[in-house]
Amino acid sequence: MKLTGKAWKFAQEDISTDLIRGKAWSHLPAKEQGAHCLEEVDPAFAAQAAPGDFIVAGKNFGCGSSTAAHVAVIGLGIGAVIAESLGKLFITNAASAGLWAVSCPGIIDVVNAGDRIELDTASWQLRNLTSGKTIAANPLPGFLGEMIELGGEKNYLRARLAREAAG
Amino acid sequence: MSSMHALQKMIAARAKPSRPHAVAGEYLEIEPDIFSVIVSFNATEARHLTANLADLGVKQLPIKHKIIAFSDHGSPAPSAAAAEGHKLWRDFFRAYGVEVIDGGAGISHLVLAERGIAGPGDIVINQDSHAPTVGAIGAFGTSLGGGRMMLYALGRYWIEVPKVVLVTLEGRLRPGVYGRDVALHVNGVLGQQGALGMGLEFGGSYVTEASMDMRFTLCNMGTEMGAVSSYIQPDATTLAWLQPRCKKPYTVFETDHDFAYESTHAIDVAAIEPQVAVPHACDDVKPVSAVAGRRIDQAYLGSCASGRLEDIATAAALIKGRKVHPDVRLIVTPGSREVLMAATRAGYIDTLHEANAIVTNANCGACPGIHGGILAPGEVAISTSTRNNKGRMGKGAEIYLASPATVVASAIAGCIANPRDYL
Ligand code: SF4
Repeated sequence: MKLTGKAWKFAQEDISTDLIRGKAWSHLPAKEQGAHCLEEVDPAFAAQAAPGDFIVAGKNFGCGSSTAAHVAVIGLGIGAVIAESLGKLFITNAASAGLWAVSCPGIIDVVNAGDRIELDTASWQLRNLTSGKTIAANPLPGFLGEMIELGGEKNYLRARLAREAAG
Repeated sequence: MSSMHALQKMIAARAKPSRPHAVAGEYLEIEPDIFSVIVSFNATEARHLTANLADLGVKQLPIKHKIIAFSDHGSPAPSAAAAEGHKLWRDFFRAYGVEVIDGGAGISHLVLAERGIAGPGDIVINQDSHAPTVGAIGAFGTSLGGGRMMLYALGRYWIEVPKVVLVTLEGRLRPGVYGRDVALHVNGVLGQQGALGMGLEFGGSYVTEASMDMRFTLCNMGTEMGAVSSYIQPDATTLAWLQPRCKKPYTVFETDHDFAYESTHAIDVAAIEPQVAVPHACDDVKPVSAVAGRRIDQAYLGSCASGRLEDIATAAALIKGRKVHPDVRLIVTPGSREVLMAATRAGYIDTLHEANAIVTNANCGACPGIHGGILAPGEVAISTSTRNNKGRMGKGAEIYLASPATVVASAIAGCIANPRDYL
């Protein structure tokens, strides 16, 4: 599938899950958590981001504890997170909740804040629609892609349990 | 066929269907030996999981006998909301016949190894992120983000076969320098991405001579370097430690002699001074002399990194006959009941009490910033816990990470101090 969105750029490295969503907000409903998304890094971001926008990040985005910081990202309506590299736990946490989190080495150099970008999850090409440049993203394994396309882990399990019951 | 690391062999052995070989980068579906979960605060999550399993028609958990729940984070409950979360999780686990290890037993990572629940060669999926700790006994300990429902509903998980980074630690430590200093130093050298998404093995003459307590400390910090799993090849020390503990059969895997590591780092531990990670990054590591004199409000000894008997023994030896500085709170939280009992028998706990330390029950303590030792804005702590991320122990506070000896020396001095001055 093809996703497009406007880029919000967080070039700094090692943005941890605690920075993505402060612990103080973990009890809030997803939408309200979204209002605090990345506030420690850029206090203006959450108020200005629109549904479908992309987070473009530097190395090791989502490192740190396995806390469900992706909930704030989803709560804000972000369409995809594309980073130089990602914390392993963040990738599966996001997939499990139906959020594309994709690593794409070199992305920081080909995307400026505000660019429109397109992610093709079949070819794993990332196109900067503003500049015309393309770059290859690291493909996610097939089952994670299926999980995200189905909307998350529960739907994937439903499909899989049905497949297994049918033999 | 390319040669394999012991960690990779473990994944191949547990793959469904099992495989003779596994190649770095491929995702394999596995059935873990242990799925360790948390009796958490999060009531919403317990409600969702219950509803989702019912919705999916899951009545029995296929690996329920392999699931173990720990009440280690914020336990006993520090608030009404936390108590509600704990209750819902306990109810959930009971309803599905899952064992709950409750009541001050300690932190999952310590208890899994101490009680022989995990053994060498096991794949231990731990909901908590410091899962790599059990690499000290030659198990594959890894944390999970997504995939929890899959483990409950199907008993399966997927693991990306990791590449492996090797850190060789050679030489003997100087007085006042401990395994935790080595771990902090390695974190500083490798950085938070030094083993990102990879296995992290520790070897060399220092490791060969190190106690199991310090091996756990080393493996624990793999998480802070991005490692999915840590590893120390089991040897005579490991097997002797396991002998009274691990009664189940286990397999010691060995790395092929021609295995190609992703990278290797050689570190001379004899050159290391006591180390401190300064706010707000665990890899911003400096010798203690660079920050000595910094005022502190709280000193914390505990966590899955440094809550073991040797840590408490070091602390007790250093503080014996001295007092905690009147402006400082020294909180000591043993990592497990086994540690607490052994420390009590050895007289360490009395020594700590005599020095005006606050000794708590065994659990995660102040480390996650959710009970017992939360910091106020502007306060400064020195801590043996795992992380010093901004806000972890309280909004607007600062955390310095150091060894038990440095933490206790600082608690006595009222400011960050070099433990070598107190030996
Ligand atoms: S002691 Fe800290 S790092 Fe270890 S499991 Fe508990 S909260 Fe996590």
